[in-house]
Amino acid sequence: MGESPDLISDLPQSILENILTRLSLRDAIRTSVLSTKWRYKWSTLTDLMFDEKCVAPSTDRAVVETNLVRFITGVLLLHQGPIHKFHLSTSFLQCRPDIDQWLLFLSRNGIKELVLELGEGEFRVPSCLFSCLKLTRLELCHCEFDPPKSFNGFSSLKSLNLHQILVSPEAIESLISGCPLLEFLSLSYFDSLVLSISAPNLMYLYLDGEFKDIFLENTPKLVAISVSMYMHEDVADFEQSSDYNLVKFLGGVPLLEKLVGYIYFTKYLSIGDDPGRLPITYIHLKTIELYQVSFEDANEVLVLLRLVTHSPNLKELKVSASPIQLFPLEEESFDLFERDYLDYKLPRLETVRMTDVSGIRNELEFIRFLMGTSPVLEAVVVTSSLSDKDARMEMVVELLRFPRVSPRAQLLFLQD
Amino acid sequence: MSESDLDIMEPETMKSYIWLQTADGSVQQVEQEVAMFCPMICQEIIHKGAGSSKNHAISLPQRVNSAMFSLILDYCRFHQVPGRSNKERKVYDEKFMRMETKRLCELTSAADSLQLKPLVDLTSSALARIIEGKTPEEIRDIFHLPDDLTEEEKLEPLKNTMDDPRIRLLNRLYAKKRKELKERERLKNVEVEGHVDERSVDDLLSFINGTDPKVAKMSKGKKKYKKKKNQKIISSNDKESHDLHFKQQGVEETGSRMRDLLSLEDEIFTPKAGCEDGDIDDEIDPAMKEMLDREVEDFARRLNSNWAQSLGQERRPVHFSINGNNGTTRRHIGQSSGHN
Repeated sequence: MGESPDLISDLPQSILENILTRLSLRDAIRTSVLSTKWRYKWSTLTDLMFDEKCVAPSTDRAVVETNLVRFITGVLLLHQGPIHKFHLSTSFLQCRPDIDQWLLFLSRNGIKELVLELGEGEFRVPSCLFSCLKLTRLELCHCEFDPPKSFNGFSSLKSLNLHQILVSPEAIESLISGCPLLEFLSLSYFDSLVLSISAPNLMYLYLDGEFKDIFLENTPKLVAISVSMYMHEDVADFEQSSDYNLVKFLGGVPLLEKLVGYIYFTKYLSIGDDPGRLPITYIHLKTIELYQVSFEDANEVLVLLRLVTHSPNLKELKVSASPIQLFPLEEESFDLFERDYLDYKLPRLETVRMTDVSGIRNELEFIRFLMGTSPVLEAVVVTSSLSDKDARMEMVVELLRFPRVSPRAQLLFLQD
Repeated sequence: MSESDLDIMEPETMKSYIWLQTADGSVQQVEQEVAMFCPMICQEIIHKGAGSSKNHAISLPQRVNSAMFSLILDYCRFHQVPGRSNKERKVYDEKFMRMETKRLCELTSAADSLQLKPLVDLTSSALARIIEGKTPEEIRDIFHLPDDLTEEEKLEPLKNTMDDPRIRLLNRLYAKKRKELKERERLKNVEVEGHVDERSVDDLLSFINGTDPKVAKMSKGKKKYKKKKNQKIISSNDKESHDLHFKQQGVEETGSRMRDLLSLEDEIFTPKAGCEDGDIDDEIDPAMKEMLDREVEDFARRLNSNWAQSLGQERRPVHFSINGNNGTTRRHIGQSSGHN
């Protein structure tokens, strides 16, 4: 052989596609100018991810926008075969008729995963989206979502992520119940949402926004929950219901393994009439992370206690005490801990992290409780928000007094 | 269960070996657990019971030569040990990937044929890293790719060709040329069909000659048409006259109304559909007009010479003006000449 043989062009198409998917889309498409064999090797890629890096940068936004639109339209026209994944994440595109056309094209080409993260604007999702019945993953950001009346849900959808979407609560509820295979649900940036979630296969739930009321109606398979709950100033609405929110929300999730709550989540759970005991035991729950817990509110502390004591396999506990006080309550010193949980044991608890501790009675009692009931406790890490050195010293002294059931337990005191 | 299967399942006091034969013929023994790391070999052993002896060595696929196989075995030998940490494996992989590109490509191919997906992914990532961010020339250089795309093809894929002024000019020129060619084709085709032609010319002729137009037959042959025309009007020696002249003849015969007719012709034959380039049309129409003018003159010349011949004496040039006389004269001549 006189010339060096081509090293790579004759590898099987599956390998070449494997290589091309590891390149940025722009680089992958540029291979079309390498040689005649390479001209259309990229065109059967099934996963297309677009962002503004696909086109040359420019200080002029309008130029980037136009170029990006041309690029995407060009790619779709030259593409051959089905497109399974289409990701578009760019703040440069907001509301353009081109996006409608791309979605129409995708709906005819078997789209399975659609991620549309647009810039802030009011892009209204076209109706062709609701005919993409093969969808397994849908992620929308900054859009308006208005399903037609004939829409019955996506029967194959496994993952739904809606961020800052303009949509009616009924539409969300019916969308969720119309997706029987749904496993991952994320709703963020919503205002005053009242939601009842019925999703028999749901495993991961992520909520972030201003929710007025959430009811996990039918979510028996939930494994992980993360809620960041913002609340209205006027909390009078909450006091109406007599149902204990803790039960309403966490009463039907026996398989729960991880629970994370931010902002007012604990407060939300504490609202309602406390029935005394929880209906279920969370035997799989290993991690609890509750932030912004207001220890001055006895009800919130009660929620915390109930959760901890109903989780026999709890391994890691992270609590952040919050200075947020909706209702400045009188500090009740109550002997809740001693009264109900005297002989209690947390058999698997290994790590406890308490942050933003300010040394109030309930906080200290809680730590004392934990240290007295966890035989395999390894570390209690306390971070304080106190600025006053003396007050800090007092707290440390107090903490050191507490009896420890676990011989290995260390009390670590960190400064903010 | 075959004997070899039983051998595999017995607790190991001695290591068992599998016999394998690479594409280039060499036969080797490999520790069983190492060889079984490759799904393809695994299947051969389990489903076909091969590899238990030298005579029944498993034949490896064609893309696996001994050099590649030894590399793959090293990989398998390291990774099949269960106790290694993820970090260890990663470090090994990175070291392992340091080889020249040619070997990397061969290794990918070999690993793929043995269905060893983790190694395929590893090599694919390495190759992707090589391609990433490089210019086409650099990539062609590394992988010895032939530079066999035309200039135009190279520009085609997603680059916006409309922006380059040279490309734009080229496109305009091509478009112009294409139009011209189309025009000529159309003219030719129209005459062969004789459709539009007939009606327009007949109408015009009748208008001029004051007679009803004969029902024009759908003549396919230009000769037929010509004959009819000639009998009616004028003798023509234009047997040889080509398609282009044909239609123009009809027009020319009517003499001074030519200009009007020409413009009518233009209307009929000029593409009515919106043209992108107004310029191009303007250029062709005058060109066509020019052509027609030339044909007219030619015809006139020929006509004159014919007359002279047929009459034998008169050498009066024929004036192409519309008046009854001329018309009659022509008819007369047409009948007597017996041309065609």
